[in-house]
Amino acid sequence: MRWELVGRRDLLLWLVGAVLLSLSLQRLGFFDAERLGRGATNLVTFARDAVPPDLDILPLAGRALWETVQMAFAGTLLGFLLALPLAFLGSRVLSPLPLVLLSRLVVAVTRTVPALLWAVLFVIVVGLGPLAGTLGLALYTVGYLGKLYSELFDGVDPEVVEAMRGVGASRLHLARFVLWPESANAIISQVLFMLEYNVRASSILGFAGAGGIGFYVNIYLQSLEYTRLATLLLLILAVTLAMDVFSAWVRGRYLLSGR
Amino acid sequence: MEATWAVRAHDLWFAYRGQEWVLKGLQLEVPRGAFLAIMGPSGAGKSTLLRLLAGLLRPQRGRIEVLGRPVADGRRPRAQVGYIPQQLGLVRNMAALENVLMGALGRLHGPAPYLGLFPRAEVSHALGLLEALGIGHKAREKAYRLSGGERQRVAIARALMQRPQVVLADELVSDLDLPRAAEVLSIMRRLGEAQGVTFVVNMHELPLVQDYADLVVVLRGGQITYQGAPRQVTWAELEGTPL
Repeated sequence: MRWELVGRRDLLLWLVGAVLLSLSLQRLGFFDAERLGRGATNLVTFARDAVPPDLDILPLAGRALWETVQMAFAGTLLGFLLALPLAFLGSRVLSPLPLVLLSRLVVAVTRTVPALLWAVLFVIVVGLGPLAGTLGLALYTVGYLGKLYSELFDGVDPEVVEAMRGVGASRLHLARFVLWPESANAIISQVLFMLEYNVRASSILGFAGAGGIGFYVNIYLQSLEYTRLATLLLLILAVTLAMDVFSAWVRGRYLLSGR
Repeated sequence: MEATWAVRAHDLWFAYRGQEWVLKGLQLEVPRGAFLAIMGPSGAGKSTLLRLLAGLLRPQRGRIEVLGRPVADGRRPRAQVGYIPQQLGLVRNMAALENVLMGALGRLHGPAPYLGLFPRAEVSHALGLLEALGIGHKAREKAYRLSGGERQRVAIARALMQRPQVVLADELVSDLDLPRAAEVLSIMRRLGEAQGVTFVVNMHELPLVQDYADLVVVLRGGQITYQGAPRQVTWAELEGTPL
């Protein structure tokens, strides 16, 4: 069989990608077999030390986990409520260019700072506890949803916008009667995704003293109490799986049948 | 004094790029209450002309007046002019009734519509329009669930809901078979006549044009090659026009 190279640029991109990946992996120690072997042994030791999980801490862990879930819900909802108007302002369909740029700048700045760092900043501002964590998650959510939503709004069929402008719709009308209903499925889907993400993210905010189960994860990790740590990790896993099931149910029930 | 002409275009020149003229010095006059069909082959400039009349494009040269007022800077007298784009521009995730009610937005004030609350008289009017167009039973159906023909009727109802004096429609019945297209045109004409509406519609089907239009304009290469009564238009006139 004879071959002919048609997508020359594609092949070049693959080659460049492969070289960059190899260099990065080599630099990060991925090709250090001795080190990797030692790591595998440590992992087995850790797993052995973590079994069986210590269930005596369940009441304490349950309370911390509940706080974590509350932080995730409140942070996501608060972030969503702030992201939506920012996204309307950041959409070229509705706003003049200076406002679009300003809104996108605000959203980009909030997105640049990771949730954990926001939490640290809010611990400084409002003190230790779940309030700092919730505010941190809210701002992180604003950064992501603000960007996703404004891009979503820009992607709305321009003919629908044109037709609605034609009936005398104002900008507010366009936001409520075109952008919102046309994007509602994706908006809800992304809020659910963010909620899943925030449940996972809020599990480590306690490292910074921002409330939730992460506080205890940090303590048990440092005091080498792996059986207790295992209990916490299993609880986090259970909540994450429950969130997956919940969002899959919401998507299936309300979203997939929507189009 | 009220203008005799619903739509007037004088020496209209338009190009999307540089000197590639889509319309070349076009002259058009549509009397009030008339049904004007614009015919011509693909690429003749029919949709561009409608978009210019709707104020969605700005001509490089020339003047457009709708209802006696100049259409300038991409603006037009909104409430009195209904525009139905080629793809209809319905909000897919809203019910047919809600889509029709959008036609009333220009005259509704206050926060109620944002909460989904519309005056009962407007809702009755919208339902009446859908009923008259034969899809009253689909009023609560989401637009994306409707067939092509049903969607076209919803778009017509939305335009008429504006209580317009002029309706500009791009390829309005092109997706329908002839009997259905004839039915839609006849209802549209009847409803329009009751409100004294002027129609400017891009169409391809000569038999329908001859049955329903008062005037025909044939566009070719950005210029009008025929303007007059529909009965006198022949296939020769439309040579090159797809059926």
